[in-house]
Amino acid sequence: MPADSTAVRSKRAATRRRLEEKRAAEAAARARAQRQRRNLFGGLAAAVVVLVALIVVVLVQTHRTTPSAAAATPAHTVDGTVIPVGSASAPVTVDLYEDFQCPNCKAFEAAAGSTLAKLVAAGTVQARYHGMAFLDTAANHAYSTRALNAAAVVVDTAGPEGFQKFHDLLYAHQPAETGSGLTDEQLMKYAVQAGANAGVAAADIEQRTYADWVAKSTDQASKDGVTSTPTVVVDGKKLTDLSASGLTAAVTAAQSR
Amino acid sequence: MGHRPLGAARELRKFTGNSRLAPGFARQRVGVRWNAAIPWLATAVRLLLGGVFVVAGALKIPDPAAAVRAVRAYQLLPEPLVPPVAFGLPVIEIAIGLALLLGVFVRTAALAAAVLLVVFLVGVGSAWARGLQIDCGCFGNGGQVSTGETAYPLEVLRDAALLVVALTLARRPASRLTLGSVHPVQEEVRSAR
Repeated sequence: MPADSTAVRSKRAATRRRLEEKRAAEAAARARAQRQRRNLFGGLAAAVVVLVALIVVVLVQTHRTTPSAAAATPAHTVDGTVIPVGSASAPVTVDLYEDFQCPNCKAFEAAAGSTLAKLVAAGTVQARYHGMAFLDTAANHAYSTRALNAAAVVVDTAGPEGFQKFHDLLYAHQPAETGSGLTDEQLMKYAVQAGANAGVAAADIEQRTYADWVAKSTDQASKDGVTSTPTVVVDGKKLTDLSASGLTAAVTAAQSR
Repeated sequence: MGHRPLGAARELRKFTGNSRLAPGFARQRVGVRWNAAIPWLATAVRLLLGGVFVVAGALKIPDPAAAVRAVRAYQLLPEPLVPPVAFGLPVIEIAIGLALLLGVFVRTAALAAAVLLVVFLVGVGSAWARGLQIDCGCFGNGGQVSTGETAYPLEVLRDAALLVVALTLARRPASRLTLGSVHPVQEEVRSAR
């Protein structure tokens, strides 16, 4: 009976197919479960690794940014990081946040520096210099830091007047922003020219004696809310017109207040 | 594999003279080719986004003091929270970037990247709106700028573009050249071949 055997055979084939399909579905479910398990364990392991890395990095970076307790502070500074020039009893104070590598600071100094000097000399203004060093690069051999460190050396040994001279010299001879910065020898030359003790200055400039103070000063400026240089504040009010006339007008306004 | 449909269509046309069948086959072929290209596109997107995150994170590690100033410059966080965020953010960025580069946990990493980018956009946007003079500090840098040299439009545009990229990747994370376990979607792509 050929017809009968064909029916039986096709019935068997259908059963086999159903069985195979069922097996395949089970295998797929098993594979899915296994994959989910693997993903879960992998995810947990990755999360633990990231967490450990997070803790380690935060601890290391906290340690790196904690200034040493023995950080040297130059003489003639006030409030830890401020270099005051002029009479403390002057009616108006002008706070200046500058970086020795900042071209806009050089532009401001060229435009309004002599005006400020006259106001200081007349006893109208006390200038308060807040050094910042955030333009260090590998190319300029950390010029911002080296220059501010040298300025600290000068104020320490030659006082505020010496600092003012050194400050003006550095802006007059500011190296290009993309250049290699002034050398330690050049800084030394200007420091001596500004009245610093040659014997003491050489070592302190070379060894960056005030590097921690420089970092502290930069951080303090950030805490003061200063994010761009030059920032000039006349009696607590930020100066927007950074020209000589703008400075004069702001000082006059502050005086009459 | 992609050649057969069109070949068959051509043959079909030859035998039946029915040219109306052919466009359908041709469209199907383009679809197949497009489907095959998407995982490679996703790979390119993954490498781009992952590369940006690893670089952005790595550049914030060498100068931790600058990282602190960059976060502080936004004037959004209370001072005690500033250093932990400044030190921890690069780790998260590098972790996300590595996951994307290696192709593990791609969807999770893409979503995390999108969340971070939204945070960055809010930060930069608010700094812009408040008229702060800051650099976004996105790639290292202490957040300071020379007066008048902010670049807010560029920063916002870049973050927004990366956000679109991250969200697209989160939607279709299946890609080629992954180290990770086969993603379900990728398996579908494979079985479809």
